[in-house]
Amino acid sequence: MARFTELVVAAILLAGLYATMAYGLGLIYGVLRVVNLAHGGIIMVGAYVGWVLHQRLGVDPYLSIPVVVALSFVFGIAMYRGLVRHLPRGAAGGVQSLLLLFGVWLVLRNAAYLLFTGNDQTIRTEYSTRSIGAFGLALSVNRVAVFGIAIVTLVVLHLFLTRTFTGKAIRAVAQNADSCTLVGVDVERIYSLTFGIGTALAGLAGVLGATLFSFNPSYGSGDLLKAFVIVVLGGLGSVMGTAVASLILALVEVFAILALPAYLTGAVGFVILVLVLVFRPGGLFGQRVLG
Amino acid sequence: MSVILRAEKLSKRFGGLKAVDSVDLELNKGEILGVIGPNGAGKTTLFSMIAGSIPPTSGRVVLEDRVISGGSPRKAVHAGVVRTHQIVRPFQNLTVLENVMVGAIYGKGRPMRARERALEVMDFCQLRERASQLPGGLTLAGRKRLELARALATEPRVLLLDEVIAGVNPAEALQMADLIRSVREKRGLSIILIEHVMPAVMRLSDRVIVLDAGKKIAEGMPKQVVKDPRVVAAYLGESASAHAAEPGIATAPTPASGSGPASHPTPPSNPTPTSTGPIRKDPK
Amino acid sequence: MKLLPHWVSRPLLIAFVVALAVLAVVPGVLGLSVYSRNQVTETFVFVAAALAWNWMGGYLGQVSFGHSAMFGVGGFVSAQLLLALHLPFPLAWIGGGLLAAAYALVWGHPTLRLRGPYFSIATIGVGEATRLVMTYWEDLTGGSSGLSLPITAGLKSELYYWGLALMGLVVAASYTLRKSTFGLGLLAIKSDVDAAADVGISPTLMQDIVLLLSGFTVGVCGAFYASYQSFIEPGDMFGFDRSISFVLMTVIGGVGTILGPALGAVIFVMLRQYLIASYPQLYLGIYGLLLIVVILFEPLGIVGLFFRLARRFGLLKPEVEAKMEAKAAVGGAAADAGARTGSP
Repeated sequence: MARFTELVVAAILLAGLYATMAYGLGLIYGVLRVVNLAHGGIIMVGAYVGWVLHQRLGVDPYLSIPVVVALSFVFGIAMYRGLVRHLPRGAAGGVQSLLLLFGVWLVLRNAAYLLFTGNDQTIRTEYSTRSIGAFGLALSVNRVAVFGIAIVTLVVLHLFLTRTFTGKAIRAVAQNADSCTLVGVDVERIYSLTFGIGTALAGLAGVLGATLFSFNPSYGSGDLLKAFVIVVLGGLGSVMGTAVASLILALVEVFAILALPAYLTGAVGFVILVLVLVFRPGGLFGQRVLG
Repeated sequence: MSVILRAEKLSKRFGGLKAVDSVDLELNKGEILGVIGPNGAGKTTLFSMIAGSIPPTSGRVVLEDRVISGGSPRKAVHAGVVRTHQIVRPFQNLTVLENVMVGAIYGKGRPMRARERALEVMDFCQLRERASQLPGGLTLAGRKRLELARALATEPRVLLLDEVIAGVNPAEALQMADLIRSVREKRGLSIILIEHVMPAVMRLSDRVIVLDAGKKIAEGMPKQVVKDPRVVAAYLGESASAHAAEPGIATAPTPASGSGPASHPTPPSNPTPTSTGPIRKDPK
Repeated sequence: MKLLPHWVSRPLLIAFVVALAVLAVVPGVLGLSVYSRNQVTETFVFVAAALAWNWMGGYLGQVSFGHSAMFGVGGFVSAQLLLALHLPFPLAWIGGGLLAAAYALVWGHPTLRLRGPYFSIATIGVGEATRLVMTYWEDLTGGSSGLSLPITAGLKSELYYWGLALMGLVVAASYTLRKSTFGLGLLAIKSDVDAAADVGISPTLMQDIVLLLSGFTVGVCGAFYASYQSFIEPGDMFGFDRSISFVLMTVIGGVGTILGPALGAVIFVMLRQYLIASYPQLYLGIYGLLLIVVILFEPLGIVGLFFRLARRFGLLKPEVEAKMEAKAAVGGAAADAGARTGSP
C-alpha cells in the first residue's frame, strides 16, 4: 500500500512537469494550427542553457529559470518571424511547417552535439539527493520543487489567458483569426507572441527536467511525443484538461514500469500516442482538438 | 411516374442537435426536385446522407429497390447517386480533364476509354477549351461546371446539386440553369437541387420541398409552395406571413432581380461539421 | 506497330534504358575503384528506398517518419532467411519484403485515417516503438550485437548489378504508378480525400495498396542493405536517423517527382562521404539547414530549382511547369492555388 501511494505521488509530481511541457505545444497548435516539431529541441536547449549556467557560473538551476525562459521566448519569436510566418496558414501548411520545424530540430540537435558532445549530462546541486518527508514518504527535493514551479506556471498562465486583454486576444485568435482581424486585433503579433510563449514553456520544461533527469542532444524527442499525447487527450486551451491528461499519462508510465520489462517502458508513450490518435482523437472530453 | 429515389424518415443528430428530423422525400424518374429553406435548415446534411457522405442517425435511402444509405460515398456513387458540393472542391493539383477523368474512372470502377468519356462530358458542359488548365485558372462559374462535369462523368442516375447557381453572375446563372435542364433532357438523369436563387428554383423544378430547422414543412408545385404561409414565415418571420398574398413577393420576374425570398446570396452556413478534423469521414 | 502503352513517353524510356546500360558497364569500362563502386551500390539502394517512400509521401501525400520500421524488418527477416535456410538472394529479399509489407499494413491501415501532420506524428511513434521492441527481440535481431552475414568472394561486385536492377525496377514502377489510373486516384486523394470519396474512390483501399507496395519495396531495400553491409544492428536499421534519411533525401531532392528522390539519394551519399572525412557529426545539421531552405524557398527541392531554371531559359512553358508542380507538391503549390481561389 505504501508502495502504491509512493507511485501515485511520484506520478503526480511528474505530471506537473509533463503539463508544462505539453501546454506550450498545445498553445502553439491551438492558435497557429502548427505542430511545433522543434518543441523537443527547445526543451533540450533549455536543459543545456540551465546546465551551462550551472557549470560555468555556478547558478542554481531554479534561479536560472528567468534567463532560460527569456531566452526561449526570444528564440521562439525569432523562429516565428524568421521562418514559420512564411508558410501558408491552415491545413495547407501543415506538412510543410512540420518539415520546416523538423529541420530546425535537426539543426538544434547538431549544434548541441558540436558544442557539448553527445555525452549524457546532469545538473547536480548539493540538494539533489536530499528529500523532504511528507505523507510518510521521502520525496526528492527536486521533484517537489519542479512540481511547485510547474503548478505556479500553469496557474499564472491560466490567469493570463483569462484575465488579461492579450490573453483573451490569444484565445480569440485561436477560435477565429479572421474575425479578430476585423475587430482590430493584430493577429500577426499574437501569433509571434504565442509562439514565443510556447517555446518559453518548452525551455522551462527543459531546465526543470534537467534537474531530474540526465540529458543529451537527443533529449526531448520522447517528450515531444508525450506532450502530443497530452495535448490530444486533454484538449486545447484547457488547463484542467492538460492537467488531467498529464496525470493520466504519468500514472500509466509509473505503473507500466512495474508491469513491463525495462526496455519496453520507453515504448509506452509511443504506443499510447498511436492508440490515442487512432481511437480517440477527440480527446477524453470529446473536444475536437485536432480541428 | 415511377419513383427512382426515396428517403424514408431520414434523421441526423449531431450530439444534441437534430440537423435533419425525419424527412421523407420521393424523387420521380426524370424529375427535377428543388429543396429550399432558410440557412441552417439541414439541406446539405440531407444531401450528405443521400450521397453516403455521412450515415443517417435513423431512416434510410432507397434507390429503386436498393438501400444505399449507411454505406460509404463510394457505395452510393457506384449505385448511381452522386453529389456536388456547396463550396466547390476541385482537385487543385489535377487539370480540368484529369478532374473529370477521375469521375469517369472511379465512378463505376471502369477505366476503359475514360479519357473519351471525360471529353464528351466536358463538351456537354462547355469545358473543352479548358481541358489542360488547372482549376485555379477558372472562374467560379467554370469551377462549378467542372464540379458538375466531374459528377456527370461517374454516369449517375440521380444527381444531387448543391447550390450550383448561387454566387455566379446573372448571365452565367442562366447558362447554368440551361445546362441543368439539358442534363435532365439529354442525359435522362433525375435531379435534386438545393438552391437559394429563388427564380432559378422556380423555373427549373417540377416540384419543391421546403425544409426548416431540419423538418419538411411543405411540398408541392413551386408556385403553391412559395405562397404557403408556413414557408413565408420560415423565411421572413411570422409577421411577413400576413403579407404572403401580396403580389411581388412570391413571383419571380427575372433571374437578375433579387426579389424572391432569400434570393440574395447568403453566406452558406455549415451545420455539417466540415472535414477539418484528423479523421476522414469514412463511415465504413 | 504499337509496342508500348500510350502513356509511356518514348524519349524518357530511351533515356532510362541508356542510363541503365551506362551504369551497367561503367565499373568495367571506367575501372572504378572498389570504394567508388560500393558507394554507387549504396546509392542504388537509397534511390530505390527514397522512391518507395515517395509513393506514400509524394504521391499519396502522407509523410511518414517511421519507414525505418519496414527497412529493418526487411533486413532482419531476410538475414535470418539467408542464415537459416541459405536461400538465394532474391528469395530472401522478397521474403523480407513480404513481411515488411505485412507489418506496414498492420500499423498503417488504422493510422492512415489520420490527416497530414497527425499521421506523420503517429509514424514517429510507430518507428520508435518498433525500434525499442526489435532491439530487445534478440532472436530476430541479435539484440545490440546485431547479426552478421557470411561474406563471400565477389559479393559486393555481384551486388552492384543486383542493386542496379533493384533501382531500375523501382524507377519503372514509380513511373508506371504515376501514369496509371491508380496514380491519378492517389493524386485526387492527396488533393482532397473527401471529394475523392464523393466521386467513387475508396481511399482506404487505395491507401492500403500503397502501404503494401511502399512497405514491400522499402523492406526489400533493407534486405539488400543487409546483404551488402554483411552486418546489421537494430539501432541503425530501425533508427530514427534512418527514417529521417528517407524524408530528407526525398524532400530535398524533390518530393512527388521521380528524379527528386534519386538526386536526393545521390547527394546524401556524396555529402556523407565528404563529411565523414572532415566533420562526421555535421551531416544531420546540414541536412536540417537544407530542409529549412527547401521548405521556405523551393518546396519542390532541387527538381523545383531545375524547373525554375528551365522556365527561365525557355525550355519549359509556365503552364507545364505549373501542372508538374501542382502534382508533385505535398500541400505546397497545390494548396496555395486553393488558397487563392478561396476553396477550403
